[in-house]
Amino acid sequence: MNLYDIIFYIFAAITVVSGVITVTSKNIIYAAFSLLFTFFGVAGMYVLLGADFISIVQIIVYVGGILILLLFGVMLTNKVTSTDIKSGSVNVLPAVIGVALFAGALISIIIRTKWTETPGEIPLSTAGTLGSVLLNEYVIIFELLAVLLLIALIGAASIARRTKEETN
Amino acid sequence: MYDIILDFTGNEILSMFISAALPLFMFILPFALVAVLAERKVSAFMQDRLGPTRVGPKGLLQTVADILKLFQKEDIVASNADKKLFNLAPILVFAGSFAVFAAIPFSGAYIGTFADVGIFFVVAISSLVVAGILMAGWASNNKYSLLGAVRSAAQIISYEIPTALVILSLVMLAGTLNLYELTEMQTEYFWNWYIFGGPATGIQKILLIPFMIVGFIILYISTLAEVNRTPFDIPEAESELVAGYHTEYSGMKFAIFFLAEYANMFAVSAIVATLFFGGFQSPFGYLGDLFGVEWLIPIEQFGWFTVKGLFFVFVQMWLRWTLPRLRVDQLMTMCWKYMIPYAFVNLIIIGIISLI
Amino acid sequence: MLNYFKNTWEGIYTVLVGMKITFKHLFTPEVTIQYPEIKVPMEERVRNRLYVNMDDCIGCDQCARACPVNCIEIDTVKALPSDDLGKTSNGKKKALWVTKFDIDIAKCCYCQLCVFPCPTDCIYMTDVYEFAEYDRNDLIYKFATLTPEEGTEKKEAFDVFQAEKEAQKKAAAEAKAKAAAEKKAAEEAEAAKKADEEKKDDSKKDEE
Ligand code: SF4
Ligand code: SF4
Repeated sequence: MNLYDIIFYIFAAITVVSGVITVTSKNIIYAAFSLLFTFFGVAGMYVLLGADFISIVQIIVYVGGILILLLFGVMLTNKVTSTDIKSGSVNVLPAVIGVALFAGALISIIIRTKWTETPGEIPLSTAGTLGSVLLNEYVIIFELLAVLLLIALIGAASIARRTKEETN
Repeated sequence: MYDIILDFTGNEILSMFISAALPLFMFILPFALVAVLAERKVSAFMQDRLGPTRVGPKGLLQTVADILKLFQKEDIVASNADKKLFNLAPILVFAGSFAVFAAIPFSGAYIGTFADVGIFFVVAISSLVVAGILMAGWASNNKYSLLGAVRSAAQIISYEIPTALVILSLVMLAGTLNLYELTEMQTEYFWNWYIFGGPATGIQKILLIPFMIVGFIILYISTLAEVNRTPFDIPEAESELVAGYHTEYSGMKFAIFFLAEYANMFAVSAIVATLFFGGFQSPFGYLGDLFGVEWLIPIEQFGWFTVKGLFFVFVQMWLRWTLPRLRVDQLMTMCWKYMIPYAFVNLIIIGIISLI
Repeated sequence: MLNYFKNTWEGIYTVLVGMKITFKHLFTPEVTIQYPEIKVPMEERVRNRLYVNMDDCIGCDQCARACPVNCIEIDTVKALPSDDLGKTSNGKKKALWVTKFDIDIAKCCYCQLCVFPCPTDCIYMTDVYEFAEYDRNDLIYKFATLTPEEGTEKKEAFDVFQAEKEAQKKAAAEAKAKAAAEKKAAEEAEAAKKADEEKKDDSKKDEE
């Protein structure tokens, strides 16, 4: 077992354990914070897979952005701790079917894939390549995404503005 | 550095840990010791006072005494606090501010990681601090803590945008995210620093200078806001919120928050120095080169890096004891109405100039 | 739009002005006075701790009576005629042993009212202002130069003297009374004699 294996298992454990807590916790805050560790663990996995850029994006977008907003929302909700999240079992049958289908699909993919073992080597940085690919091959999609985000931004701003005028 | 330790210990894991912990023990702790004292001395001198004078000669050991006191203090956890999160929060905050040091090139011989995403990593990982602060504020079960935490998070997230924009303009100019490479580009003489247009030549360099200065000012202000220091210290505004998100903390946990704050101060100063002022590069050649002593160069580089970093830390203190605190709305106005538009325009102009 | 740029400029400019000011102050000498080591000299007429120069005190009790909070306690014993207490510096003769002169400085309100009536100017304010104590009883300042034993001794001596004097007086009175009685008796006897003689004379006259 070398260093990378140990780090991998640490990150895997963080991801899985905090993922389980996220799902099972009855306290929204706990769930939100363990989601943070899940994201973080996943980012660690990305690093180990040699996807450094993706992992940083994972942190900056999920941990730094979405999760903080989520926490903001949760914290400003009334009576955070006293709200009981229903964790009883409802709709057991459809859930079982859904989970079974999904699990089956995953397992079949895992079994059928021809896993090739490549000798471990320090992966090259992906940032430069990613950049040139994004701005050359997929430039239209990239720009469309940018426009989409811009529209979302303008929409959010206009919603915020309108309610303000009404309250005035 | 890692290789040297690997040679020495012969154990991969051990040497990894040692080289990772090196900046903490070799740099952050001593820095915090000095900086806390410096903060008090600077504030005292600016107000025509003397500052601490009792412990040690001229009060130089004051921080040591303070830390000993903090060690001995009872670790109080409020009975209605959320114990798990309460204990986790300082660790998270410190981890966030410490992780930043991984990507900062201290000298030619020591940098935590040569990762190509260096500066991007710095921007990302510092968001861990926000999560930690929110956690601390919420777990304390105290209205002041929560308000402070929420304010802090809002502030840090807002000011991340101008920071990122300025960094982006530099990255665009340099063509790399790697802080080490960025430093290497500003080598030899101080007119190669990015504040003076970087390694560009001719008309391009002259055109760049004013926009680089604007970029520097924006970056400096917004990093100042990101480390929650006066005039942007509304998350811990004493007159309104007691002490903000660490109101309920005492003893060692408080010390960790404190350490994280000072680590952050140096981290952002170091980043400003690295981006605009040549990082560990000397402004005019090295003594090591002059005398042909190889091993002197990294030490000199470390010295230059420390001097530059400390200078910006000093400016932070200087500002702190000059300016009053902003109001929340002023804070947001400044960020969204002034800094972001300026940063945007600056980004575009630098982009155009770099095309010339 | 113009306003926008003006605001920006003003923001930067004012910050720089402020920084210039604080930078200047970085090098102005500090105004701190490090108190226990360096003390500001007191004004001439400050009112702080009282002091009594017992050499001059004649034990007249005027200061104690002037004090509005009754924090001075004085006990005196009359001196024997044989004792020579000396004179005060302004020439008054001392006639009382001051056996107790306590000032409870904890009660004192530094009004200085005790200072004025003193005929010999021996109670006065000093500029000592650091006299905190751990025990309140330590703030009762005992100025009397006589030890309690000496005090009682003096008192006893005075009592003895007094008793002696009394005895003397008594003796004297008795002697006087005796003398008076003798005198009276003698007078009476004489008177009787005279009367006898007169009688004789009368009878003589009658015979004549
Ligand atoms: S200063 Fe005033 S209060 Fe103090 S002993 Fe004299 S008369 Fe009394
Ligand atoms: S007034 Fe002066 S002389 Fe008289 S008892 Fe007081 S201190 Fe002594």
